[in-house]
Amino acid sequence: MKQIEGVMYQTSAPKGKDPDKLFFVQVDADKCEGCGSCEEVCATGAIQSINDDDIHQVVDPAACMNCGQCLVNCPYGAIYEGVSYVDEILEKLKDPNTIVVSMPAPAVRYGLGECFGAPTGTYVGGKMHTALRKLGFDYIWDNEFSADVTIMEEGTELIQRVNEQGKKDARPLPQFTSCCPGWVKFAETFYPDLMPNLSSCKSPIGMLGPLTKTYGAQETKIPGKKIYSVSIMPCIAKKYEGMRPELDDSGFRDIDATINTRELAYMIKQAGINFNSLPDQRPDPVLGDSTGAATIFGNSGGVMEAALRLAYEVLSGQRLDNPDIKVVRTHEGINTADVKVPGFGTVKVAVASGLDNAAKLCDEVRAGKSPYHFIEVMTCPGGCVNGGGQPLDPEIRASLFRSTVAQINKRFRARKASA
Amino acid sequence: MKMNRRGFMKACGVMAGYAVLGVNLTKEAVASAMDFVAMRQKSVYNADAKLYKFRKSQDNPMIKKIYDPKKGFLHDGPCGHKSHHLLHTHYIDRSAHLQALKKKGLKFKI
Repeated sequence: MKQIEGVMYQTSAPKGKDPDKLFFVQVDADKCEGCGSCEEVCATGAIQSINDDDIHQVVDPAACMNCGQCLVNCPYGAIYEGVSYVDEILEKLKDPNTIVVSMPAPAVRYGLGECFGAPTGTYVGGKMHTALRKLGFDYIWDNEFSADVTIMEEGTELIQRVNEQGKKDARPLPQFTSCCPGWVKFAETFYPDLMPNLSSCKSPIGMLGPLTKTYGAQETKIPGKKIYSVSIMPCIAKKYEGMRPELDDSGFRDIDATINTRELAYMIKQAGINFNSLPDQRPDPVLGDSTGAATIFGNSGGVMEAALRLAYEVLSGQRLDNPDIKVVRTHEGINTADVKVPGFGTVKVAVASGLDNAAKLCDEVRAGKSPYHFIEVMTCPGGCVNGGGQPLDPEIRASLFRSTVAQINKRFRARKASA
Repeated sequence: MKMNRRGFMKACGVMAGYAVLGVNLTKEAVASAMDFVAMRQKSVYNADAKLYKFRKSQDNPMIKKIYDPKKGFLHDGPCGHKSHHLLHTHYIDRSAHLQALKKKGLKFKI
């Protein structure tokens, strides 16, 4: 076990294991106070009370979507991560025969600074790229680039689906986004009948992994087999996604290791890098440059807005003068919108933040009553910026006093009920 | 009316009880966490509007390069043959294990 930015991590870096059998988050029963905060925020009920003392556990990995909302909301720091590739990455960075490539997600750059004292949400993209270079990563490629690729692929798929309606073998509408690994596992587990509605597109990191080892290898003239690709995410569920056996389309493992924002902060601190004094640098070209459409992937409603910025121009043949499509921006809950596209008509969209909300939209689709063309789902309320791998909200642990009172209260009520 | 010691203690007890029982504390904590999230979200939209030279994926010069119909790595375009091989996937029905857990008597929210 290792403490990283206030969270305990098991230092296990599984290779070739079935991720469905691994606990990516689990409760340390010795630290659990039975307050039930984790159960309250868990959409599936995978984390639940297992005895009379209300000690909580993730009862089986099959029911856990690995989102880690339980972990970031636990006021006692009782929930730990089961997988950490940090030690393995440090070894690879030292190995002169391995080309280590960094692939940081959009939301990481809005959380990382907090580990170094910056105000909540401070953008530190430039410093992050510099820090990755200082850590010894050979290529600083960016998952934001592949977020742009995702829009090209997923937006095109949506337009194809819309156009093929009524034809034989048409793929169904609504199309669901497939960027969020918690949501994808949720759909596969609880709504497998809706899998044809899921976009066939891999997530941005699912795309950048294979592009790194094919296109990137070709552009840099480095053999793909020498490349070790590191996915850096605001997320815990991305560790599960990175281990999916089917993600080997490059001829190698597409993603060799996955860490999150907290673990990157830990690596920077361990290396003695003074993060706040770093200059801003750019990622390396070819798989590095990105747009505003890519950076908004980190917010609930962002993938939707980015896709609409493409779909509008393709469907209408006109330029979208103002790229702000604020109606789809979602803080929490379910957001729906009708977007008028000249020459096409109305594109009906919905955005669900949180899997409990996603389930409501899924039930509509199942009942054949969903009016939408396109539905975005993010597992974490608010999107990846609030991911399970992001720096903790200091308020949660500070509210320990309030939680303690709540817990005494709960025991008092329980006693009363049984008397 | 004069408040005696016993009455004062009782009033304190009642007030403390209301203070503690009257509020759903987990909900309150989650609400404050959402304010925290709003700050990060705001920063994202600010960067989109002010820091990025291009704001649409299709305008990214590197996107134009990779999809270039002549020389691009993905020259057959989005959802083309090479994209399908490298960038698209399939999904796996994972419901059986969960159903087995439910049969064993475990209860979940869905």
